[in-house]
Amino acid sequence: MIEEKFVIPKKLKLATYVLIAIGLVSFGWGFVTDPQRSWANYLLNNYLFVSLAVGAAFFISIQYIAQAGWSAAFKRIPEAMAAYLPFAAVFFLLLLFGVHSLYEWSHAEELAHDHLIQHKSPYLNVPFWGIRILLFFGLWILLTKWMRKISLKEDREGGMRYFYQSEHLSKVFIFIVAVSFSAFSVDMLMSLQVHWFSTIFAAKMFISAFLHGAAVITLIVIILHKYGYLQVLNRSHLHDFTRYMFMLSIVWGYFTFSQFMLIWYGNIPEETSYYVHRWHGPFQILFYVSIILNWFIPFLFLMPRSNSRSKLAMVPVIILLIIGQYVELYYEIWPATLHEAKFGLLEIGSWLGFAGLFSLIVITYLAKANLVPKNHPYLEESIHHHF
Amino acid sequence: MIGVFDNEFDLVKAFEKVKARGVKIDEVYTPYPIHEILEGMGKKTRISHAAFFYGLFGALLVLGGMYYAAVVSWPLNFGGKPFNTFPSFIVVTIVATILIVTLATLFTFSARAKVFPGKQARIVHPAATNDKFVMVLLTDGSAEEAAALERILQENGASEIIKQNEPHG
Repeated sequence: MIEEKFVIPKKLKLATYVLIAIGLVSFGWGFVTDPQRSWANYLLNNYLFVSLAVGAAFFISIQYIAQAGWSAAFKRIPEAMAAYLPFAAVFFLLLLFGVHSLYEWSHAEELAHDHLIQHKSPYLNVPFWGIRILLFFGLWILLTKWMRKISLKEDREGGMRYFYQSEHLSKVFIFIVAVSFSAFSVDMLMSLQVHWFSTIFAAKMFISAFLHGAAVITLIVIILHKYGYLQVLNRSHLHDFTRYMFMLSIVWGYFTFSQFMLIWYGNIPEETSYYVHRWHGPFQILFYVSIILNWFIPFLFLMPRSNSRSKLAMVPVIILLIIGQYVELYYEIWPATLHEAKFGLLEIGSWLGFAGLFSLIVITYLAKANLVPKNHPYLEESIHHHF
Repeated sequence: MIGVFDNEFDLVKAFEKVKARGVKIDEVYTPYPIHEILEGMGKKTRISHAAFFYGLFGALLVLGGMYYAAVVSWPLNFGGKPFNTFPSFIVVTIVATILIVTLATLFTFSARAKVFPGKQARIVHPAATNDKFVMVLLTDGSAEEAAALERILQENGASEIIKQNEPHG
C-alpha cells in the first residue's frame, strides 16, 4: 500500500488560471469580431477535450475487463480525466446557442427546399439534438462517477467486491460508449456536412478519442513521475503505455485510410464531396500532416524496443499526437463551417483556455484521492510489473 | 550434467548459483518463457531487425511490382482512373508485406536455429517436453567440479540429476 498525496503546486494552479483567462479573453474578443469562427473554435476544443475524457474512461474500462494488472497503479489519472465530463456537458449545452452558426441542417430556409435535409430532419433537429447531448452526457457522467465512487470505496474498505463491481460496470460502459460516442461524433462533426455520410466516420473518431486519450494519460503519468510522484513507474509500464499508442495509431491509420480509399475508388459524387471540399490549398496539406502526425511518426518512431521504453523518445511523440488531434479536428470542422483555413490568435487562445480548464480539473481530482489506489487487487502486480 | 526441477523458483535459484560459479550452461528447457532465464542466458536476438528490413523490402517490392504491371508494362484504363492508382495498391501491399515478412522471418529463424522438417528431435529428458524444468550444464570433466555442481542442484531442490560424460544428442 502506497500513501501518496498529490499536492497541487501553487504555480501550476496559477498557470491554469492564467490559461483560462487567456481563453476567456480570446472567446470574448472572438464572439464580438467573428462569431462563426468562435463557435467553430468552441466546438473543436469542446470535442477535443471530451474525446480525451471519454478515451480515458474507456481506457479504465478496458483495463478492468481484461483484468490487466500492470495499469492498476495509474488508474487515478484516467479517472481524473473522466471527471471533466460534467463540465463538458455544460459547455455542449451552451453550444445550442451556436447551432445556427455551425449546422446547415438547423436553418429553416435550407430545410424548406432541401429534400435531403427534410429526409434527415426527424433525427437532425435542434430539440432532439439537445436531448441527445443530455442523454449521452447523462449516461457517461452517471457511469464514470459511479466507477469513481466504487474506486474510492475500495481504497477505504478493500476486498474483491469492488473490483468485480467495477468490472461489471466497465462492461456496461463500453457498450454504452460504443453506441453513444458514435452517435455523438456523427451529431457533432459529421452532420456539419449534412449531405455527406461515411459509415466508418464514427469508428474513426472513436479510435481517435482512445488514441489521444491514451497519449494524454501517458503524458500526465510521465510528468507526475518527473516531479517525484508515482515512483512505481518503470520501463515496462512505459512500454505498455507505448503499446497502446502504437497499436491505436495503426488502427487510426487503418480507419482513416479505409475511409479515404473507398471514397476515392468508388468515386460517387455524394461521397467524394467531402474530399473535393478539402483537396486544395492548406486543407490538402493538412490531410497529409494529419496522417504523418497521427500514424506515420508514432508507427515508425515507437517501433524500436529502446524507443518504446524511453520517456525521452515518448514525450515528443505524445506532443505530436496532441497536435495531430487538433489538426484532425480542424480538418473536419473548418472546411465545413468557415470554408477557408483561418488560423490565428483566436485558435491558439481558445485552445489554451480549454487546456487550462482541463488541466485544472485533472489536478483538482488528482489531489482529491490517494494517487495510487490503495486496495486494488492488482496493485502488487502493477508495482512489480517487469518484462 | 542435467538437472530436472519441479518448479520455476527452484530452477531460477539453481540457475543463478551455477552461473555465479562460472559453469557453462548449455541450455534450459522450460514449459513457458521465464524472464530471469532469458536474461541470464545472455542471448540476444536480431530477428526483429531482420523482420523490419524484410518488411521494408517487401513493401517496396510489391509497390514496385504493381507500378510496373499497371503503369509501365500494361497500362489499362479503368473507369477513367489514373494508371497509377496508388491508394488501391496500398491494401495489396499491406497484405503481401505481412506474408513476405512472416515467411522470410520463418526461414531466417529455421536457418539460424538449424530446424527443418523431418529433423530428428533432440530430447534431453522425457519430461523436458512436459511440465518439468530442465537445465543442461557442461562440466569441465573433473570429479570435484561434478560433485560440487551436484550438491548445488540438490540443495536447490532438483528432483532428478543425471550425469553424462559426453554431450548428449
